[in-house]
Amino acid sequence: MAAGVKKLSGIRKVIAYAVLSLFSLFSIYPILVVFSISLRPGDRLLSKSLAIIPHNYTFQTYVDLFVHQPFLRWMMNSLIISVAVTVFAVSLAATAGYAFSRYAFKLRDASMMGLIMTQMFPVTMLLLPLFIMLIHIGAYDSYWGLIIAYSATALPFTVWQMKGYYDTIPFSLEEAATIDGAGPLVTFYRVILPLALPALAITALFSFMTAWSEYLVAAVLIQDQDLFTLPMGLKMFSSNMEVAWGLYSAGAIVVSIPVVILFLSLSRWLVSGLTLGSVKG
Amino acid sequence: MNTLSYTKNNRLIYLYVMPAMIVMALVVLYPFIYNVVISFTDMNLTHFKDYHFSGLRNYIGVITESTFWYFFFKTVLWTVLNLIFHVGIGVMLALIINENIKGKSVFRTLLILPWAVPQYITALTWRGMFNSEYGAINLLLDKLVGIQVPWLSTEWGAFAACLITNIWLGFPFMMIIALGGLQSIPSSLYEAAEIDGASRWTQFKNITVPLLKPVMVPAITLGVIWTFNNFNVVWLVSNGGEPADTTHILVSWVYKAGFTYFRMGYAAAFSMIIFGTLLIFGWKFINRTKATENVY
Amino acid sequence: MRPIERSLLDSLLHKFSTSYPQYSFRQLFYAPEEARTNFIISSLAGKGPALLHGASDNIGPMVELDVIRPMEDLFDQSYLSRFLEKPFPANTWFRGHLYQIADRIGNHLCLVYNKDIIKKPPQTFSELIAMGKKLTRDDNHDGKPDHYALAWNYTEPFFAIPFIGGYGGWIFDSQFHPTLNTPATVKAAQLIYDLANKYKIIPKECDYEVANALFKDGLSAMIINGPWSWGTYLKAGMHIGISRIPRIDETGLWPTPLVSPMGYSINKNLKGAKLKMVVKLVRFLTSVDTELRFTRLGASIPSLTQAYNSPLVKNDSLIQHSIDQMMVGKRMPVVTEMRWIFDAMRPAYQSIFTGRLSPKEAAQKMQDLAEKLIRENRE
Repeated sequence: MAAGVKKLSGIRKVIAYAVLSLFSLFSIYPILVVFSISLRPGDRLLSKSLAIIPHNYTFQTYVDLFVHQPFLRWMMNSLIISVAVTVFAVSLAATAGYAFSRYAFKLRDASMMGLIMTQMFPVTMLLLPLFIMLIHIGAYDSYWGLIIAYSATALPFTVWQMKGYYDTIPFSLEEAATIDGAGPLVTFYRVILPLALPALAITALFSFMTAWSEYLVAAVLIQDQDLFTLPMGLKMFSSNMEVAWGLYSAGAIVVSIPVVILFLSLSRWLVSGLTLGSVKG
Repeated sequence: MNTLSYTKNNRLIYLYVMPAMIVMALVVLYPFIYNVVISFTDMNLTHFKDYHFSGLRNYIGVITESTFWYFFFKTVLWTVLNLIFHVGIGVMLALIINENIKGKSVFRTLLILPWAVPQYITALTWRGMFNSEYGAINLLLDKLVGIQVPWLSTEWGAFAACLITNIWLGFPFMMIIALGGLQSIPSSLYEAAEIDGASRWTQFKNITVPLLKPVMVPAITLGVIWTFNNFNVVWLVSNGGEPADTTHILVSWVYKAGFTYFRMGYAAAFSMIIFGTLLIFGWKFINRTKATENVY
Repeated sequence: MRPIERSLLDSLLHKFSTSYPQYSFRQLFYAPEEARTNFIISSLAGKGPALLHGASDNIGPMVELDVIRPMEDLFDQSYLSRFLEKPFPANTWFRGHLYQIADRIGNHLCLVYNKDIIKKPPQTFSELIAMGKKLTRDDNHDGKPDHYALAWNYTEPFFAIPFIGGYGGWIFDSQFHPTLNTPATVKAAQLIYDLANKYKIIPKECDYEVANALFKDGLSAMIINGPWSWGTYLKAGMHIGISRIPRIDETGLWPTPLVSPMGYSINKNLKGAKLKMVVKLVRFLTSVDTELRFTRLGASIPSLTQAYNSPLVKNDSLIQHSIDQMMVGKRMPVVTEMRWIFDAMRPAYQSIFTGRLSPKEAAQKMQDLAEKLIRENRE
């Protein structure tokens, strides 16, 4: 159950709802603006009217998006890559994080520090050499290069996140399992992993997002238009100085939907009912 | 200590860890070394394929650039302010949502939206909202309090605009991490504290904060690093540094040097300096918060 | 290229490939900045697309980075002589070699006016200011105008440079050394500043999107923009006219927008049979027939003399006015220094509008920064 045991009452309740509502409004307003841009005819980014639904609204941009643009193909491509990255990164992070949490082996601190260090270097400067390298191993115009690159982007955070979460799982559980005769692998899969579901959910969401919205690396590695990912497809709506704002915003709204769906399905683990209250001392 | 004594299973440990490390090494090591090397050369437009060793010239060039320190200061300010709001708002919202709230999932979903929608368009939408003529913010401010702020045409107005945009973009992430972390805190601890007569604040200080730490610390560390190096938001909201190239943080300068002018040697040295700064920070921070400690 | 032009390109490539079924031809589209960066990165790594289609100002950096190859040995003289030399040479030579073959010229700023608001465009700036006083109104009396005479992306150097030419100066000399601290620069900046603050006929804060929004909403009678945008105005149902940016009264000169050809350059990495095929493709894409098709679709000015003089072009009023403006324009330089000069101008120039610098101070700062950038990048 939830952390705070006291039921919410009186003035606290009012404040809580007020704060939540305020921030929800704050969150959603710009997105409503994006939505209204997609409904406005004539590619208008700016408008003097504050109305969310413009008086001359049209859903034409959405029709155009699916009928006249290979939007669905881009979506398919992005889905394939993002799911692959999610599976790959989550598996690697779940195991590596566990090892970092439980075993004080020699290179542990250095490796963990190393992971964080990879994030410190400005990405743009890594692109040119990365590209040269991926070309030489034949990753041009194929998804492998992207999957590896994206996983590498997601790993530092996900490994640390898993490790941090494992750290909060008391050691006594593994001891109990060992006493019951379970080996390390079984303990890991049957006892520990289920308890780490919230962290796994976050890890999965994060890996998916990393792959789903990445543009820079994909733009340089993929040249076959049939293999375009969603961000690359969306970028195509801008030319010289004119951006097809209608199409772009419609695309942006549609692109966000899978992420929200994923979040909704994962969020039941984010508020999982698993408590460790049964373990004392 | 939270360590197992499976000493005979060293191979298992490495099996767990190796795949992740190999992937990282593959992708990051070569580009990193490449940059280290060229930071000591004069690689630029004039000699791109035929560069020469030039020692510390680039490094000195970067440090003696008058605006370097000003933007360094701005970048630090940018990072600190962002993180304070990201974590503050994120944790606060997580705590509230975690309570017995009706409509929990609706709020949760609404609050994650800034993270879900592609950054490119939301950053530009915010830029549009800060427009002093057409922007929603000034239109609202005008209706409510009768003032209008020249956001994007002044240096600090533009900075504030980038800041607000990035706060909007970043708090959902911290909120989710905190939410996840709150799940691992057994309610029995709160129950016991309740019985002992501890106030909500004491409970928060003694139970919530320490147990949330191991989960928040990686997020904050990486949050600091990512925010420090967040090129996209500043570039998009300020349209590449406007007004007058004053709205920059260090990485947008690097981008300009490297990709607009192709001064690769210089940009590489610059990146190394950024890297060094963050390294010192990361080291100190990790050590102080003892992120490798156990909690029980 | 705009979407309809890209569809045309697709069908052209398809037609071409029927003659050479063993090859496949695809186009890859990016916004100009990214196209340049992606092309350069992939070419440096030894790969990349065979052809790059873009404006000529990228030639300088690409030659210096050694990512495109000279073309004069691949095409015979009789073919090359079919391209325009006057009023502007269509093909781009740099450091003695041919690096780009154009399929259109133009890309220059013009005065675009809303025919529903103005019947006849102003010929001089004093006319424009007089018109402006009538056109700029504050209908809802909130202290700020709702209707403007003119709006354009004036804070961006590219959109202000024509005025420097209008005052008889220019951004650099024949050796491509920057010449920014001249009276012409000061006066040009002063004019624009006055339009916003003294005559108040243009908005005080205006970027590309705002100008577009005002014009499309009918809240600005005129805009200064290039051919890439005219299609969107037409698509929005507006009745637009094109004319020259009005004359500067003091000098009697017409402002000088930058004119550049757009065309094809060949990737350095291409060899052998592929190279031969690409040469054939370029010839196909720059045939009279192809160029006129693009013209019909997107009002582009063809680069071949024969196409330029064709009835289709001669009878199109929009194109003729665009050509008219082009006549007083200046050729876009292809040297790498060009971009550094834009970048050097931007900070100081924008400071004029935030009130931090006077035009005179700004001009000097522009010059200093330009010299500094050139020095730094050339060392």
